[in-house]
Amino acid sequence: MSKHKFTRACAALALTLVAGSSLAAEKKLTVGVADALTGGGAVYGLPQANAVKMAAEEINAAGGIKVGADTYKIDVIAYDDKANPTEATNAVRKLIDRDGVKYILGFCCSGSTSAVASFIGNEKAVMLVGNAAERSITTKKIPNLVRTRPPADYTGQAAGTFIARKGQKRIAVLGALDVGFYAQYVDSVEREIKKAGGEIIAREVFSLKDRDMTPQLTKIRGLNPDAILVVGYVEPAAFVYRQAVELGMNIPRYGFTSGSEEQFLRVTTSEQMEGVWDLRPTELTLLSASKNGIAYHANYTKKYNASPSPSSPYAYDQLYALKAAIEAAGTVDNTDAVAKALRNLAVPPQVVMQYQPVDGKMFDVNGQAYTSNGAFQWQKGKWVFVEDLPSDSKAYSQFLSTLN
Amino acid sequence: MNRILVLLPWLLALALLAVLPQVLSVKYYLHLSILALIWVIVAQGQNLIQGFTGYVSIVQAGFMGIGAYGSTLMGLNFQWPLWATMVMAPLITALFALATGYPSLRVKGHYFAIVTLAFNLIIVIVLVNYSELTKGEAGISNIPKPWGGNREAFYYLALALAVSLTGLAALIARSRVGEILLAIRQNEDLVAALGIAAWKYKLFAFVISAMYAGLGGALYAHFQGFINPEIFGVAQSLDAILAVILGGSGTIAGPAIGAFLVVFLPEILRFADSFRLILYGLILVLATIFMPIGIVGIAKAAFARLTRREAGHGG
Repeated sequence: MSKHKFTRACAALALTLVAGSSLAAEKKLTVGVADALTGGGAVYGLPQANAVKMAAEEINAAGGIKVGADTYKIDVIAYDDKANPTEATNAVRKLIDRDGVKYILGFCCSGSTSAVASFIGNEKAVMLVGNAAERSITTKKIPNLVRTRPPADYTGQAAGTFIARKGQKRIAVLGALDVGFYAQYVDSVEREIKKAGGEIIAREVFSLKDRDMTPQLTKIRGLNPDAILVVGYVEPAAFVYRQAVELGMNIPRYGFTSGSEEQFLRVTTSEQMEGVWDLRPTELTLLSASKNGIAYHANYTKKYNASPSPSSPYAYDQLYALKAAIEAAGTVDNTDAVAKALRNLAVPPQVVMQYQPVDGKMFDVNGQAYTSNGAFQWQKGKWVFVEDLPSDSKAYSQFLSTLN
Repeated sequence: MNRILVLLPWLLALALLAVLPQVLSVKYYLHLSILALIWVIVAQGQNLIQGFTGYVSIVQAGFMGIGAYGSTLMGLNFQWPLWATMVMAPLITALFALATGYPSLRVKGHYFAIVTLAFNLIIVIVLVNYSELTKGEAGISNIPKPWGGNREAFYYLALALAVSLTGLAALIARSRVGEILLAIRQNEDLVAALGIAAWKYKLFAFVISAMYAGLGGALYAHFQGFINPEIFGVAQSLDAILAVILGGSGTIAGPAIGAFLVVFLPEILRFADSFRLILYGLILVLATIFMPIGIVGIAKAAFARLTRREAGHGG
């Protein structure tokens, strides 16, 4: 072989290798996130979007999603829906129609999520809902929709049992009761309290943007309740806790907020929060977290220089569930098969939340996942996991199936 | 010649809008165009009371809500056909507008704006709290869509209605009623001094404006398939005002242009991520300061300057 021929053969071989490697190079799977990245809902939406991006990086670093001989690396496009129904519809239409996205994650807030849920059944796409807690999202039997967070009344039932067991009979409620899922939570609490001979003696309302709750608290103080129950977004709830102390209300304070220590301490002091209970799904706190949870907390804090909100792993878990479903279905293109695989999925080992599978599956026939519920108490600057709350995911799943 | 020059942009715009669904390969833009056409109807209504009569009303989105919920609830509770409920929606809104307009129009200027703002707040509070009927903040899903949700067909429905109602607004503006509305805007005391019952004309403008919004709301509900009270809040009423100001208050083309701007601009600015709303706000502030006569006003002034210069050269 002449020198020229040898050089040419080497070049051809190199070219073949390069071409071969590019043929074998990973494909790209674009997933969309529609969530509240600005506005009042951003305390939940932004950490969710961050969590999805972090999960994508982890999955990519671990080799991506394997579908047959192909490997897919995940690319994330996140759009702000401001927790507004019209904006959410526009964002999802853009993801599906323009960006060609088939898998849409995020969805922290109920109004915007319900708007998208109303048409997603007609699309060749799969919708994975996170923190949005409105019950009706998973009562419509939409085959291509699943949700990682349990509905609010599932948690409210467990919370009511806990409060009744503590012996308080006259409970005053202060919360965002014009928001459907908070009202559903309180209704469930009330049912359980009544069974124990107690009652809700007041239902006072605050809105998302309210900061001065002293009028409602003064009225409640006049009723001399045994305890107060605060349900709502983190910031207004934090103001309630702070102002209750300032008004000298030395009674147990229960809540349903899912806020992190960092989020509460922007408004209150640790002393003002001391002893407050948060009765919620067993979301992320370092003391209750599993090994995955501790790693998630550390990685998130390192990456974003802020602690993750307790509810943010709902979105993180979405991507791992999606990965497992795609691999089980053996396709990224057939969304019907992936949606079906999601319904038959065992809880993937990488998830952070502590799911309670129904018949061995992460999502029940309604597309609903259930986590355990927990009683958390603020002790010396931290949310401390105190105990599990009694929760029957199978019984609730059957109840959910009867609704439409 | 002048008449042709005036009609030409309208004909071109209409031709462009008519072929739009055929040339758009990305249906997301069709979705936005339908929303924009719905907003054209709402903004034309707003223009009647704000642009022609000079009364800034901050309840247009509230009236949209009445139309949207009216049409939806009549369909769901009485099983009335979709087309019948859509026709009924502006009529129901008109009844509400009559009831609210009569006391509201007794005050003028900022006071009228504040009264209508309060009405919008009340409408949202009722929609949120009367949850037995409205399903509250959770909203109503699965609202029937015409033609099984075919977006192209819905686009032409929205286009036909937007064109017809823009034509109706032009007819009103050029009629004797329109002249009196303009006179009220210029000098209401003088109109009264001439023995004209100004309140009747103001009430007429307010009710017609609400009917436009009611129809817009019904279209929105049957296009999106989902409504909740948040969609009909004060922020959306401000969007209707902005559409009129940006496009050109007291003109016919202005609200149509403004409606497309308030729908498309926030979407175009998505590239700016979390700075999107800051940019949007900045554009609106700058446009309002430096273009108080709106896009149509500027275009007219530029055209007039151009024709004057050409006439000057010719002479």
